[in-house]
Amino acid sequence: MARIWDKLRPSGSGKLLRLSQEYDRLRRELEDLEAEAEARPAEPQRNKTGADRLQRYDARAYMAKRAANHAAAKAIFRAVREGGSFDEALRTQEKKLARIEDKRRAFAARLERGGAERKPAPAKQKPSAERVKRTAAEKAALEKKLAALETRIARAKGSGHSRISLPDDVALRVRGLKMYFGGLKAVDDLSFDVKKGEIFGLIGPNGAGKTTVFNCITRFYNATGGDMHFSGRGGEAVDLRDFRVHDVILHGIVRTFQNVEVIREVTVLENLLIAGHRGYGSSLVAQALHLPVLKKEERLMRERALRVLEFMGLTEYKDWYAFGLPYGVLKRIEIARTLMCDPRLIILDEPAAGLNDTETAELAQLIRRINKEYDCTILLVEHDMGLVMDICDTVCAISFGKLLAIGTTEQVQADRNVQTAYLGASEEA
Amino acid sequence: MKMHKLRRLMSVPLTQIILFAALMTALQLLSMAGLIPNSFTYAIGSTLIYAIVAIGFCLLLGYSGLASLGTAGFIGVGAYAAYYVMESFGMPYIAALAVTLAISVAIGVAVGFISLRVEGLYLAILTLGLSEILRNLLMAVQATIKIDISNARLFGVQLNDSGAYMLVLVTFSLLVWLTSNLIDSPTGRAMLAMKNSTSAAQAMGVSLMKHRLLAFVISTVFAAIGGLLYMMYVRVMTTSVSTLLTMTTSLNILGAVIIGGAKSLWGTTLGAFIVYGIQSMFLSKIPFFQKNPAFITMLTGLLIVVVVMFFPGGLTQFLSGIKAKLQRSFRKVREDIYGKDLG
Ligand SMILES: Nc1ncnc2c1ncn2[C@@H]1O[C@H](COP(=O)(O)OP(=O)(O)O)[C@@H](O)[C@H]1O
Ligand SMILES: [Mg+2]
Repeated sequence: MARIWDKLRPSGSGKLLRLSQEYDRLRRELEDLEAEAEARPAEPQRNKTGADRLQRYDARAYMAKRAANHAAAKAIFRAVREGGSFDEALRTQEKKLARIEDKRRAFAARLERGGAERKPAPAKQKPSAERVKRTAAEKAALEKKLAALETRIARAKGSGHSRISLPDDVALRVRGLKMYFGGLKAVDDLSFDVKKGEIFGLIGPNGAGKTTVFNCITRFYNATGGDMHFSGRGGEAVDLRDFRVHDVILHGIVRTFQNVEVIREVTVLENLLIAGHRGYGSSLVAQALHLPVLKKEERLMRERALRVLEFMGLTEYKDWYAFGLPYGVLKRIEIARTLMCDPRLIILDEPAAGLNDTETAELAQLIRRINKEYDCTILLVEHDMGLVMDICDTVCAISFGKLLAIGTTEQVQADRNVQTAYLGASEEA
Repeated sequence: MKMHKLRRLMSVPLTQIILFAALMTALQLLSMAGLIPNSFTYAIGSTLIYAIVAIGFCLLLGYSGLASLGTAGFIGVGAYAAYYVMESFGMPYIAALAVTLAISVAIGVAVGFISLRVEGLYLAILTLGLSEILRNLLMAVQATIKIDISNARLFGVQLNDSGAYMLVLVTFSLLVWLTSNLIDSPTGRAMLAMKNSTSAAQAMGVSLMKHRLLAFVISTVFAAIGGLLYMMYVRVMTTSVSTLLTMTTSLNILGAVIIGGAKSLWGTTLGAFIVYGIQSMFLSKIPFFQKNPAFITMLTGLLIVVVVMFFPGGLTQFLSGIKAKLQRSFRKVREDIYGKDLG
């Protein structure tokens, strides 16, 4: 069953393939047009089919790489649970990749020798002046389309071709992030690095685009432009754009929401079990029949959930329905959920909003403890400057989607721009 | 303690299903012995068929939060598949089941994909349209389908009325068991998450596409199996006159699920008995209602209004409320007699 699902969902690589095919088709059209307009024999077409096939091999090699990445992410997850099988999954994909690359090499050699070329197409008739004019317009339109496609392909390829490597201490690298809503530039050319194991604060006035940044990182929004790389579970950098919103958790990126999103129809414990969703490996059949594998997994997940509840001081609420619980508890449930899937980057959107002073102090304590005991990086948005200055190692201030300052808390507090745009403004107001 | 163990055993769905099936079998035996009228158990059988459809719908509405008004069309698909495979080609029930499953899975996947783009009421209207297209298509192909009793065979054995009843009962029990397992598993919880908050669900790694597709596939498959069983049990269906394939059926199924309490399988079954069972088992025996069948529909409508107004959680909520009240008064009586400490 799981395999059927995998086939059903439109994967990023499928999209890439579609784009490349469309690109090829358009370019062929353009070349035809050019050939026609200049009325020269279709010389460049001779090599085209060969180059075309080379390109297709490239696309296939790329897809295999992508599949390897994906398999690796999944296998790592499985390996975390059961141990083993990770290397194997990776090896099969790599073998496949090697085969494709061999084929490509052989074909390229054959092409060089001139073996793979087609016979030249017959020369075309000289076109009329009117036809030339019309084709010029068509050509311009086509070229525009091609340029657009080229950027989309470049983006779809992402890290696949030129794999980026992050410095060892960087967990998340955001470069030139842009998110436009129509004319509104909610995030505009934002770049920052989040270091491994630090508590990173993102601050800015209301509407500055903080939540939007989070939504881009967790793939709820498809960024208009820019790059986001994350140091994945396997240790190598992954392009977050390659992931769908529900897959970023595979690399340990988890988040909370500004307006608490707790599943109210189920108990607190079940909320945590849902958060462990990707930790189950049982097939649908095993679930429908309640086979022993599922029962075992359920038992393990339940134990883990109880441990997290204990850690969060929520044990007393475990069998309560989330509906009707106090706000402070709901916020803690949300944070507890992020701890269920071996988190590596926890993204908190205004965790202190709506909490009173004692609760905020407890929260600060809690975030520090999570940071240490779960050994994970924390990225948070917060309005409570006291909290931010208290717990954050690095602070990044933004306003109207643009970077104002980044550095230690002291540096950011001392920054002129920040004082006028943010701190100053709020003090005067 | 013995009492404690018994209570725990009773809370397991499998025990409940076995007890229910045993009770229904006993009723059938009684009717075969001539102790209760045949028409009574016949009505139970057809109500169970509706209950199967309703349980699929319960998973869709109550757990996944997706609305559909296309149930009737999906029932029709199963019924026609049964007719063509068994009556026209003379193939066995298993073949009809396989064909029904294949077609309904395909339809479920298609509607599931649609549900990724269209949501809420629009989705309901869209499925309604789809169902009407299916119905008119089936009607155009053949307005009345009828399965000859000699063709209603299972494993080579011809099914008489009580055989078909048992087939319905066994299918119902099996499907309730599978569904209750699925609900109490990561998939069921993921569906609830998706119903409550799509963004939270996605952030926790739940794929909307996978679970929406699954919910629609399950509900269409259950509806189609309902249609298939209907052809095995009632053996005749008319598209043009009967109300089975019209929107009324879709709405009645919706009503059964809501009356029962959208999130409970037994509640849904109870809902099916209230919407379909009461009228066919009791009311249609009363001369007054025989003369004025419109009153039956009105009574059902009134019941839905009352339940929705006073017990939005359905009859399940009503019954658990009564249970809690009883327990409280029992405890009080016990405390009065033995004193607080011993109670
Ligand atoms: N889905 C959306 N569609 C249109 N505009 C949006 C959307 N999400 C956010 N915005 C806009 O982007 C800007 C930044 O919003 P947001 O990121 O929520 O700010 P904050 O820093 O307060 O979290 C706001 O002007 C908001 O209106
Ligand atoms: Mg915000």
